[in-house]
Amino acid sequence: MSDYTKPLPTLNDENRPFWDACRAGRLSLQKCAACAHVRYPISAVCPRCLSTEFNWADMSGRGTVFSYIVFHQAYHPGFKGELPYNVALVQLEEGPRMFSNIVGTPNSEVRVGDAVQAVFDPVTPEVTIPRFRLAR
Amino acid sequence: MNTTVNPLRDKCAIVGVGASAQGKVPGSTAMSLVVDAFKAALDDSGLRKDDIDGILTLPGQTTPEGALNFLRVGETLGINPRFTGTMNMGGSTAGALVQQAVLAVNAGMASHVACLFGDAAATGGGKFDRAQGWGDSSSIWGYMSAAANSAITASRHMALYGTTSRQLAEIAVACRYHASLNPKAVMQKPITVEDHQASRWIVEPLHLLDCCLVSDGGVCIIVSSAERARDLKQPRVLIRGMGQAYTTQNLGTEDWWYAPHQKRAVNDAYAMAGVGPKDIQVAQLYDNFTPSVMLWLEHGGFCKPGEVGGFVENGRIQLGGELPVNTAGGNLSESFMEGWLHIVEGVNQMRGQCGARQVAGAELGLVTGRGQALNCANALVLRKG
Repeated sequence: MSDYTKPLPTLNDENRPFWDACRAGRLSLQKCAACAHVRYPISAVCPRCLSTEFNWADMSGRGTVFSYIVFHQAYHPGFKGELPYNVALVQLEEGPRMFSNIVGTPNSEVRVGDAVQAVFDPVTPEVTIPRFRLAR
Repeated sequence: MNTTVNPLRDKCAIVGVGASAQGKVPGSTAMSLVVDAFKAALDDSGLRKDDIDGILTLPGQTTPEGALNFLRVGETLGINPRFTGTMNMGGSTAGALVQQAVLAVNAGMASHVACLFGDAAATGGGKFDRAQGWGDSSSIWGYMSAAANSAITASRHMALYGTTSRQLAEIAVACRYHASLNPKAVMQKPITVEDHQASRWIVEPLHLLDCCLVSDGGVCIIVSSAERARDLKQPRVLIRGMGQAYTTQNLGTEDWWYAPHQKRAVNDAYAMAGVGPKDIQVAQLYDNFTPSVMLWLEHGGFCKPGEVGGFVENGRIQLGGELPVNTAGGNLSESFMEGWLHIVEGVNQMRGQCGARQVAGAELGLVTGRGQALNCANALVLRKG
């Protein structure tokens, strides 16, 4: 029984390849087999061309901080002990954007535009969460 | 020059507005608040219950979906409508329903449409769905709450344009000043920029005083044809322009944080009305959080993109300023009715019934709404008939 109390993904056939890749230390997203559009969040259909054919493609893990906020209020009990904690909207080099956390740097020292690199945080035997550290 | 006039311009009027008690209304339910609001709007309009042949509802945000479903509302009010429906576009629903009513009245499908909302969010035991992130995954990283979406907007606007928290404070201060002139407002004690700065962080860069209230309340807005409005009780308030726009792509869209669809909604309303931002004398701009007003001022063309920080300073958006905004206090200080009271205030300003907070000589007003995170937007241009 894990003592991890924050929200976890519900693994299913659609999202399992994403989480399996994270467990192996890779950030992998869906790339449309018809138009090559890289998409996220995970979806059965390409929002650009409506093709349902895709491949899981490894990303570079490189990105920049597109926007950045710090929570001083917990909206889920699992985060109470961690206040204040940050959330960044990360612009990935390959196009998509994802919410994540910046680790290894005090909250007050992260700036919009900072270059970041994905790192992988195993929180349960099944789930490894991708986060980012500053790349400088 | 294109001289084609939208045939719906000035063809409908808001003939009745009504609200229940606001704030903390112990013992109330979404339905009891809707009933109070409906009675008040009927009385305001001079219509009888049996005149109402259209019902449009927002189901309430903290009650189970369907709590204010049109069937239940119709059953409770004893009305068998010719035209009805229930939609949830969050804070953009009020304006979207009024626009739906305009389409129905113009199509001859209804004569008098009541748009209704009620929610016992403060005392009713309901909760906004705070534990859920947008999409199925963002809560994994702790991205939760409505405040977070506006914080993302503010943080990037600050980084790109140098907008400051003290400038966001000017919006909260203006809303509270206006609420202090509104005897029905929930929060009437004036605040200063320093009060805003001293209030606790919620989601940085947003302080507590950047955030809307949580309120019990109900609101009803009745739409009729402009012709029928001539014979009713109140001075006519015409719906001169209207527009809606949406983004569905969220994070993947380059400008999601900036909600560019808000500009499309306002521009459509301006085009239909044949007016521009310079013609607008008073504006009710949706304010779930202060950054929403910031975006509406830029997208409404009142200042250039990126320049809103300077625009809101020096009392420019307060009564007596260049563009009085949220003259009843808005979601931030009057009551969090998800934009429904913005329309009520827009109507009351055109009627000249706002007492100490009346904008003298106001004949053209803008009302905007947005909801479902940043994704739904609408705008109405109202004109004194």
